[in-house]
Amino acid sequence: MQPEMEPAAEIQLPAAPAVKALACPACGGSVELRAAGYSVSVVCQYCSSILDVTDPQVKLVTQYNQAAAALEIPLGSRGTLRGIEWEAIGYMQRSAMGGAAWDEYLLFNPYHGYRWLITDGRGWSLGEQLTVTPLRDDYETLRLGNQTYQRFYEDSTARVDYVLGEFYWRVAVGEEVVGADWVRPGAMLSREKNAHEVSWTRSVLLAHKEMADAFGVRKGASWPPMPHQPSPNAAWLGTGFKIFAGVFLLLAVLILAFGGTSWTSAGRFPVAPDGSERTVTLGPIHFGHLYQRVEIRADVPTLENGWVDLDYSLVDRRTQQVYEAYGAAERYSGSDSDGPWTEGSRGSSVSVASVPAGDYDLVVDYKGNRWSSGSLYTPSYAGMPEDLGWMTPVNKPEVVVEVRTGALFLSSFWLALILLGLPLLIGLIRHIQFDKARQAESDFAPTGLAALTSSSEDDE
Amino acid sequence: MNPRTFLYGLWSLGVVALFVLSGIFAWSPFAEGGRARPHAGIYGPTHK
Repeated sequence: MQPEMEPAAEIQLPAAPAVKALACPACGGSVELRAAGYSVSVVCQYCSSILDVTDPQVKLVTQYNQAAAALEIPLGSRGTLRGIEWEAIGYMQRSAMGGAAWDEYLLFNPYHGYRWLITDGRGWSLGEQLTVTPLRDDYETLRLGNQTYQRFYEDSTARVDYVLGEFYWRVAVGEEVVGADWVRPGAMLSREKNAHEVSWTRSVLLAHKEMADAFGVRKGASWPPMPHQPSPNAAWLGTGFKIFAGVFLLLAVLILAFGGTSWTSAGRFPVAPDGSERTVTLGPIHFGHLYQRVEIRADVPTLENGWVDLDYSLVDRRTQQVYEAYGAAERYSGSDSDGPWTEGSRGSSVSVASVPAGDYDLVVDYKGNRWSSGSLYTPSYAGMPEDLGWMTPVNKPEVVVEVRTGALFLSSFWLALILLGLPLLIGLIRHIQFDKARQAESDFAPTGLAALTSSSEDDE
Repeated sequence: MNPRTFLYGLWSLGVVALFVLSGIFAWSPFAEGGRARPHAGIYGPTHK
């Protein structure tokens, strides 16, 4: 028999602080204290006077007779971010001296403490004050855990321009700190120091949908990108290049797999010395694959300062279907003030695509031509023999034709590589544009790919 | 998986498929055969 078990003692969570109402000593308005017991000061939402709430007798610290600004997140609003419900209890507008302004909302949860929601109008970041000091790798790099952060903004003074709600310290308009920032994609490390303390905050960039779902905020401007905004192309480019390398290897294997035959002689035939057109029929040539690329190569070994026109017709003996191609071998040479020169080739190669299996005749219409530097035609003068050039019978001008089959064209391989590389190239260009725009706000020299594309004028 | 990575993977598969089809049918847009085009330009060297 098991001993009777005592009921487990209930875990006592600390009670969430109740909302406490105060009367503003300046205007008499009812001020809600949402983090009673935690907050040190509160700003009246009606007259913006700063009240000290550490004493039961609420004291007026500073009186501002100004209307409270209409906030994008009204104080008292609650929203759930990453599984934790937060209440907006304070708002500050700060600005760099002579520079841009940004908004900071103080969030409170009795079990998780304080967080900051920070925006400069382009996006929102959730900031948490650190209890450790980041390590310094070098002058421009900080390390927090296993992540590194690159310096982005140098030391500059930030001033509180406007304040509303309650805070855990006595905040006042005009309060100044010296801030500096380091960034990595998606996160920012901020250091703030004054005469009394140095504090570090890590802010993580929130997706617009997160903020819209939590607090119903509008989407901000998307350009230029924020200092810690990740490039939308960086995330896939690394994997994309690996895919490209893998597919490149696959295509190389496929080229070997498709294979082809070696050159086989189809025939050789003489060129008419008088330049007349002739026709020869070679074959039969058997093609065994369902479809093949037929490559026809002609070589004219004695060709010099002339050309040979070659019209090929592959005729299917069964269907009489004709596949045509045209080739020409041209070879020229001479000498000028720069010395001897040559141009063209004694060989010619053409490919016929998608030739079905069957027995074929290769019909070649060909004609030899000669060229002289004076004119296309060498006139024969009375009493003088015509200069036959390379077609003279002594030269034994002839055409040698060879045939081979295959499946793939090299042009298809290059075309495939271009199609594969095009999205990567576009992504890379857009990534560089993004990173240049992102780093344009930095007080430091660009890093990464943006540095490679920076001109010397940009650096000045 | 990043949607752009997925789309690029699909694109690559499509390109490989077209490459294999071009091999099966031994086809290329740059093949000389079948066009029976006339010789372009004039004959003679273009040297200088």
